Amino acid sequence: MRRMAVILMLATFGAAIAPAAFAQEDAEVVLRIGLTQDWETLNPTAGFAVSEYEIWNVHYATLTDKAAADFAPIPGLAESWEVSNGGLTYTYKLREGLKWSDGEPLTAEDVAWNVNTGRDQEWDNMLSTVINLDAKVIDDRTVEITSSVPDPKLPNMDVYLVPKHIWEPIATDYDATVEYEALDGVGSGPFVISEFTKGQSVVMVANPNYWGWNGENPPIDKVIFQTFANPDAMVAALQQGELDAIHGFPAGSAATLEDDPNIEVVAGRQGGFDEIAINGGAVTGQPHPALLDLEVRRAISFAIDKAAVIEDLWFGLAGPLETMSPGADEAKWIPDIPVDKAFTYDPARANQILDDAGYLDTDGDGIREMPDGTNPIVLRHAVNTDGDLAGPIGELFTGWMEAIGIGVELASYDQDALFGVIVEGDYDTFFWGWVPFVDPDPMLSYFTEAELESYNDANWTDPRFEELYLEQKVELDPQRRIDIVHEMLTILHDAAVYIPMYLGPDLQAYRTDTFEGWVRQPADIGPVMFSNSSPSYSLLRPVGSGSAASSDGTNWLLIGGVVVAVALAGAVVVTRRKSSADDRE
Amino acid sequence: MLATEQPESRGRTRFILKKMLGSLLTLVFVLVFNFVLFRIVQADPIGSLFRGRNVPAAKIADLRTAFGLDESLWVQFWAYVRQTFQLNFGISYQSRQPVWNEIVSAIPATVALVGISAVLSAVIGTVGGVIAAWRRNTWKDHAITSGTMVFYSMPDFWLGMILLVGFAVVLGWFPVGGMTNAGTSATGVALLLDRLHHIFLPALTLTLAYLGEYALVTRSSLFDVMGEDYLTVARAKGLRDVVVRNRHAVPNALLPVVTLIAINFGFVLSGAIAVEAVFSWPGLGKATADAIRGPDLPMLQGLFLLFSAAVIFFNLLADIAYAWLDPRVEGA
Repeated sequence: MRRMAVILMLATFGAAIAPAAFAQEDAEVVLRIGLTQDWETLNPTAGFAVSEYEIWNVHYATLTDKAAADFAPIPGLAESWEVSNGGLTYTYKLREGLKWSDGEPLTAEDVAWNVNTGRDQEWDNMLSTVINLDAKVIDDRTVEITSSVPDPKLPNMDVYLVPKHIWEPIATDYDATVEYEALDGVGSGPFVISEFTKGQSVVMVANPNYWGWNGENPPIDKVIFQTFANPDAMVAALQQGELDAIHGFPAGSAATLEDDPNIEVVAGRQGGFDEIAINGGAVTGQPHPALLDLEVRRAISFAIDKAAVIEDLWFGLAGPLETMSPGADEAKWIPDIPVDKAFTYDPARANQILDDAGYLDTDGDGIREMPDGTNPIVLRHAVNTDGDLAGPIGELFTGWMEAIGIGVELASYDQDALFGVIVEGDYDTFFWGWVPFVDPDPMLSYFTEAELESYNDANWTDPRFEELYLEQKVELDPQRRIDIVHEMLTILHDAAVYIPMYLGPDLQAYRTDTFEGWVRQPADIGPVMFSNSSPSYSLLRPVGSGSAASSDGTNWLLIGGVVVAVALAGAVVVTRRKSSADDRE
Repeated sequence: MLATEQPESRGRTRFILKKMLGSLLTLVFVLVFNFVLFRIVQADPIGSLFRGRNVPAAKIADLRTAFGLDESLWVQFWAYVRQTFQLNFGISYQSRQPVWNEIVSAIPATVALVGISAVLSAVIGTVGGVIAAWRRNTWKDHAITSGTMVFYSMPDFWLGMILLVGFAVVLGWFPVGGMTNAGTSATGVALLLDRLHHIFLPALTLTLAYLGEYALVTRSSLFDVMGEDYLTVARAKGLRDVVVRNRHAVPNALLPVVTLIAINFGFVLSGAIAVEAVFSWPGLGKATADAIRGPDLPMLQGLFLLFSAAVIFFNLLADIAYAWLDPRVEGA
């Protein structure tokens, strides 16, 4: 027994000693970023988490970049482009002397191979961009991309281009491509992956061949992303200077961080929103019949106090929203809804609407019935247990509905089960959210017939909306397209099936005494990192000299080790004494 | 171990075989239950996996086919059983890597953390229990009993948060999370010290949380033997008190403690989910939490099978150890 204990101790220590680590010198400038999400894979054809996109934003340069201010296409790997063939063909001219981080030339061959292979193998993250495209190499620095249909997203080509010389032998088919671990470290962005420890960190080192350094030495040697399962611990690490920036902390910590003179809090917005959705009845499962009446849906919309949610649950950090936000650029895509049509909180008016429409409480139990006096209106509200706010919102919703004589039964589901419930139509209302892409097309497509039983979680369709959707998809005149999108969102708003609650902020904070040059995307309201193309990384410079203060834990490290050793030694001595007592017997 | 065939050893062998068969049947039950458990909920893993990604609906349907989710449950079940017997636990939905590789990479962190805590709490708790029992109703007994009970009755994640705030945030003596300094270049002794520095608080949390169990079981078990005749005989022989205690009382009192140690070791793999979350410790607990969020069915099935197998195995070990240590067992 005693020997076993000692062996176990040694074994557990043995398990704790495994090779790790990447060389790091004292003089290095290191940017440390904390986040609460882990990474599952760093393969840009397979992953989908926000944490993973951020690594790709840094590791890969794209053919065109997006302006920090408004996402407009600006030169990236391509220094210029020309349009021809009635807007169907774009010819991109690459910068001179482009190289991958391993020194191999980056040419038009790389671009064309990515576009065509991504299309043929249907790479998840690329397919919607390249599905109608065909790329042709003209010469080393010229690539011609032709779309089979008019595509308003062009000339934007924001897909991550992987190095052909590494990937071509691996990417034999879809399965082989997505199963590749992609830890070769060859990229074209400002920093490239050097080490990935799942559940802990991603270490990225400066890429001397990144075009944006303009031949100068990179001002930062290393970027380390560290994941925390405990957001409060992450906040503490920023306050202590162990981290330079953090992403995704609880709203309740914002006030504490704002009190620190060396910390800047950013409530970044890029179109993300949460909504209460009403079952529109377009799939098998039907809502309570009252919900099929537009008047009832309008009454419910008037009874929801969005301002209170923004104030009480978001501490004022979220933005107001009247209709759905379809893209990252809020100013561009969200239409103004006239004041007289807006659903501003007014429970008295909601009650009036229901009275006028004949939904009366005939039996005096506080719940209204259908106009024929039967079938009390009790809503099955689905609560998504994977979000922090769904529970509180469910409670608030119950109170708001009670005030207008509508009952609510709450049912909890995890995200996955909720998806199933929505597809089946077994619900009346739910609370969930979206973070849209830069281009509004995908978000708008979720309200079309083709997406029923998939992403159409409103279970609602509308013939005019459908028509306009197809129009905007091929409209190459930017202003005309904006007008069409605005009209679509007004139709969706007036149908009162999708009640946006607020524009949700992405909470971030950074130290102002270690690095400077953080850029918001989009301007004024956007986040400084984990944004659509994350321009901050190539613009950051250390404040004064040196990097963030590292923790002075060395002495305590020794003491901690000694304490454990003493405890173990004590345990051994106790068992030894026992045996020596045996000997003396 | 046994050179001579003793009459009671046949009964003992039968007892052990019976226990082994029982363990095997339990494992089979777990295998089936595991499959049913994750499919009871009406769920669409692919749907939620891709929500918020710009993927055409047709492509999602293709992936459901690829993951075998459009097959009947029977077909899925037999595929799962066949795979499991080939020690193939499938491919994780999220990372697209073999589940087994994902699990193996997270095992060392958890075994190190929970293993160290289990050993320390067993040793310290048992010694504490012996002292408390031998010095019954003295200040030592009261201090040990109430002290360990205070920690035992706290939720471990809460105790962890208190230690984290006190020692890592306020005093800054220890790091706030993780297993090493992120991106450290340390190797050898420096790396070991870095890891010890990181493991200290989570291991302290779990050790304190488990102490009470061992102390109390040891204490009450010693009370049971302290009135036995053989102790009176030993004292009558003029043996010193410490010899009576260590040679005659403790070995007999340790039987239930051995069982407790074995059972607790069964939970070494799965027993620290909350504490791993508090200290951002990259082990199996954290892997489970991430898989549940998917839900990454193949990953969850693999993890649950592993956790169950560990508990079943160590319970079997406890039964066998008991059979060796306690000659009265064959009657059972």
